[in-house]
Amino acid sequence: MKKLLLVLSILFVFTSCEDEISVDLNNAEPRLVIEASINWFKGTAGNEQQIKLTLSAPYFDDEVPPANGATIFITDENNNTFNFIENGVTGIYQNSTFIPVIDGVYNLTVIYEGDTYTATETLKSVASIEFVEQNDEGGFTGEETELKAFYTDPADEENYYFFEFISDIPAIPTLEVYDDEFTNGNQIFGFYTEEELDTGDVVTIRNYGVSRRFYEFMFILLQQNSEEGGGPFETQPATVRGNCINTTSPDDFPFGYFRLSEVDEFIYVVE
Amino acid sequence: MNCKRKGILPLLLLVLSFGFSQEKYTLSGIVSDQKSNETLIGVTILFPELQTGTTTNEYGFYSITLDEGTYIVQLSYLGYGSISQSIVLDSDKTLNFQLAESTESLEEVIITKDVEKLNIRKPQMSVNTLTINTIKQMPVVLGEVDIIKSITLLPGVTNAGEGSSGFNVRGGAADQNLILLDEATIFNSSHLFGFFSVFNPDAIKDIKLYKGGIPAKYGGRVSSVLDIYQKEGNSKEFHMNGGIGLVASRFLAEGPIKKEKGSFLFGGRSSYAHIFLPLFDIDSKAYFYDLNTKLSYRLNNNNSIYLSGYFGRDVFEIADSFENEYGNTVLNFRWNHLFSDKLFSNLSLIYSDYDYDLKLNFVEFDWTSGIQNFNVKYDLKHYISDTFKMEYGLNSIYYKFNPGEINPTTPTSGVNPFKLIDKYAFENALYVDAEHQVTKNLALSYGVRFSSFLRLGQDELNIYENDNPVVFNEDIQIYEKADPIGTDTFSRSDVIESFFNVEPRLALAYQLNDESSVKASYNRMAQYLHLLSNTSSPTPLDVWTPSGKYVEPQLLDQFAVGYFRTINDNAYSLEVESFYKTIKNRIDYIDGADLIANDAIEQVILNGRARAYGLEVLFRKNKGDLKGWIAYTLSKAEQQTEGRTPAETGINNGDWYNTPYDKTHDLSVTASYKLNEKWSFGGNLLFQTGQPTTFPNGQYEYNGISIPSFDLRNSSRLPSYHRLDVSAIYTPKPNSTKRWKGEWVLGIYNIYNRRNAASITFRENRMTARNEAIRLAIFGIVPSISYNFKF
Repeated sequence: MKKLLLVLSILFVFTSCEDEISVDLNNAEPRLVIEASINWFKGTAGNEQQIKLTLSAPYFDDEVPPANGATIFITDENNNTFNFIENGVTGIYQNSTFIPVIDGVYNLTVIYEGDTYTATETLKSVASIEFVEQNDEGGFTGEETELKAFYTDPADEENYYFFEFISDIPAIPTLEVYDDEFTNGNQIFGFYTEEELDTGDVVTIRNYGVSRRFYEFMFILLQQNSEEGGGPFETQPATVRGNCINTTSPDDFPFGYFRLSEVDEFIYVVE
Repeated sequence: MNCKRKGILPLLLLVLSFGFSQEKYTLSGIVSDQKSNETLIGVTILFPELQTGTTTNEYGFYSITLDEGTYIVQLSYLGYGSISQSIVLDSDKTLNFQLAESTESLEEVIITKDVEKLNIRKPQMSVNTLTINTIKQMPVVLGEVDIIKSITLLPGVTNAGEGSSGFNVRGGAADQNLILLDEATIFNSSHLFGFFSVFNPDAIKDIKLYKGGIPAKYGGRVSSVLDIYQKEGNSKEFHMNGGIGLVASRFLAEGPIKKEKGSFLFGGRSSYAHIFLPLFDIDSKAYFYDLNTKLSYRLNNNNSIYLSGYFGRDVFEIADSFENEYGNTVLNFRWNHLFSDKLFSNLSLIYSDYDYDLKLNFVEFDWTSGIQNFNVKYDLKHYISDTFKMEYGLNSIYYKFNPGEINPTTPTSGVNPFKLIDKYAFENALYVDAEHQVTKNLALSYGVRFSSFLRLGQDELNIYENDNPVVFNEDIQIYEKADPIGTDTFSRSDVIESFFNVEPRLALAYQLNDESSVKASYNRMAQYLHLLSNTSSPTPLDVWTPSGKYVEPQLLDQFAVGYFRTINDNAYSLEVESFYKTIKNRIDYIDGADLIANDAIEQVILNGRARAYGLEVLFRKNKGDLKGWIAYTLSKAEQQTEGRTPAETGINNGDWYNTPYDKTHDLSVTASYKLNEKWSFGGNLLFQTGQPTTFPNGQYEYNGISIPSFDLRNSSRLPSYHRLDVSAIYTPKPNSTKRWKGEWVLGIYNIYNRRNAASITFRENRMTARNEAIRLAIFGIVPSISYNFKF
């Protein structure tokens, strides 16, 4: 009996698998995408900032078109106005006089093709990355290189973190968001795993201080982009609304977000 | 208003029934299997001269009261030889019958025509009964007989596909099914994320699925009742049986404690720890096991006691980074007592729990959650006359909910210990139900269930401005969590919120002629517990939450009509039913709702509603070497969550949208063919409309990654699901007189290797930054073999 079982077990193939297929999708009308990310790197003046405008595109297109010819400015609580000027026809709008203030409240205005878009957000501070711990037998499978970027959460406030890990291996950055609900006041870490990191590879780790609203926005966004997402446990996907409003015609809402963060960057060389 | 009338009606009818009677006597007793003394559920006891009869109840008991006289009594039961004998009814009599399993060569005595007439006449509709023998003949994936998978072959029942837990009845969610194992509630019906169900087929005697017209005896869930009874065990002889399969093995021992009086049953089942290894290609474990036990003892003619237990576990371990264990535990004591030969009673004392444990070693924490309940049921069945029966009883359930607790697993863990606040509730119900043969052609059943739900005191209940835990941000047009303005703490004996519902149940059958009848039913039901799950099928991690200040109980109204017909002396039968149901207060979730480890679940929940309607056809061939059925369902299941004020958008713009379990067409063909004594064959053919899902309608770039934008919720569908399975059962020595009997079960699941999509996900490939659509297909063609033995 046992012998038979053994033979059969070998014959038996578990056939579950994933494959890429082609699917016909509907195409929605393009919307404006506002990537207004004001990043104040620790130890810099933070005066040089840029805002990127693009348009949404059909899902399987390789590129998304830039949104050109917009008027963009940010105002602060001290009645300063920072104008962002487009660099050629790149859809990238720049300003070099920006004044970042922790907990300062800023207003964004974008005027594009006759519609006015506005958003309000607060510049959030962030805890520094203190050190990075490497483990070559980590991750889910025990065979991945695992990096933990430690920081200490301030105990006296609610904090939200947005982590970005950039290495040469994947073509896109790895993004994570964390809150401090279960880790308040502790030394805790941002977590990154990669299967094929080698000695000498460089990983750029950035920790951004963000608002609760951004945390919630990014949390859903990442769920929907994620490689791990989907399967039978998939949550209901939905179009995610950021904090930008089209005041001219509210139904034509834009995608994207107006975020202002203090950022700590840590360049890590894999051992 | 209606209820008042209903209170008077039975009384009136009672008077009518007794008004002009001559001398009446009661015949009662128990029907059991000749070999094992196992009681038989649903045996037909028929008096052909009177054109009347009854059936045995869940404990094998029957009772019927007739005029004095001499009658022929006929007993028949599927798969058993019939009994026909003459009795002189000149006093109240107790008569226990024993039926012998029909050796297939022996043709059953043909009295089925009258038997079916009895079924046609009964007002109960929308119910499917499957004996374990029928279930065991169906082809199954990996050779494992599976009760949940087999009921999905019935009309009106679907599931979310391979690798998904639970099942959906008439467009209802999986948490709306009341699953009872020996009267105890089972909270999680699946092993290994739905690859197997938790019921060991060897220990099961009989299952009954109520999809509509649900008797007042049952309550607490709005979609269906799956009532499963375990065997009592052989009280005549010691026997063992079991099966060895590719994925799991089973073993069951049963025998007398005291001959013909007491018996025990002990069953175990386990999957092999490493069978799922190829799935991960790493050091991992994934297995389950379960234990079923039952002790039965017949104290005397009027009293029997039963003690049954169930314990099931699932264990997963992936490398050292991930450990996961969960399962149900059930312990149940029952006492059957006959107050008289007309009044049967059963008292059940039940403890049941479900607990879940997840250790994530790489982030150094341990997560536990669970639900516990203590349940007392007292059910009486009163056989007043051959045309009038009543059932009444009460039910009290005390619940304790542990929504979750998080603990660091190492002293250096960055996670703080945290306990979500426990919740408590007390559910009570009182019911009365009557089954009444009004005229020769018209039978009615009517009843009412009074249910109440008390949410008991807890620590730190959040208070919100205007009692509104979810606020609508009009600028961005999204729902957001409201911040609590304070908390209240209550003592355990306080009642924070109470609900009370009157649930009328009504069914009627009108017999058109000897072969056919029409039936109609209405039932209202209340459900006070909600499974928090925003995935298309439940996961073991999902937690149950009670109704309370911010979550209303779900209320169902269901109407069904049907046409029932037997053809050619019951060689064939046809059942056509149509249903319409609405559910109030179906919970829905705001976008991005976090349901796990959320201490303020009310902040992400909105109350919506659901509706479903459809047509079901079941055509069966009941006799001959080729048996089987064709089941077809055409249906629609939708839900809607409108804005609470005109300014709010609601979910999905407040429009109706398909539930994830909306399957427009659902066809299944199940057949078994007996070639000869050695070989028999089985086959299933399934076709289902693809599951509703939400596909992207565009993309945009944000922070270096591509984000999909989505169409309206569930507006797209996965490709249609279909497959064909075949099986063969080979009995090498069918006529062997040896004690040891064995059979081989060979099966091929999904024989034409259809790659049915369990899901299609849209993602950006990390390496190429290209967007792609990925299909996940769980089972291609799966051959299997298992060996079953008995001695």
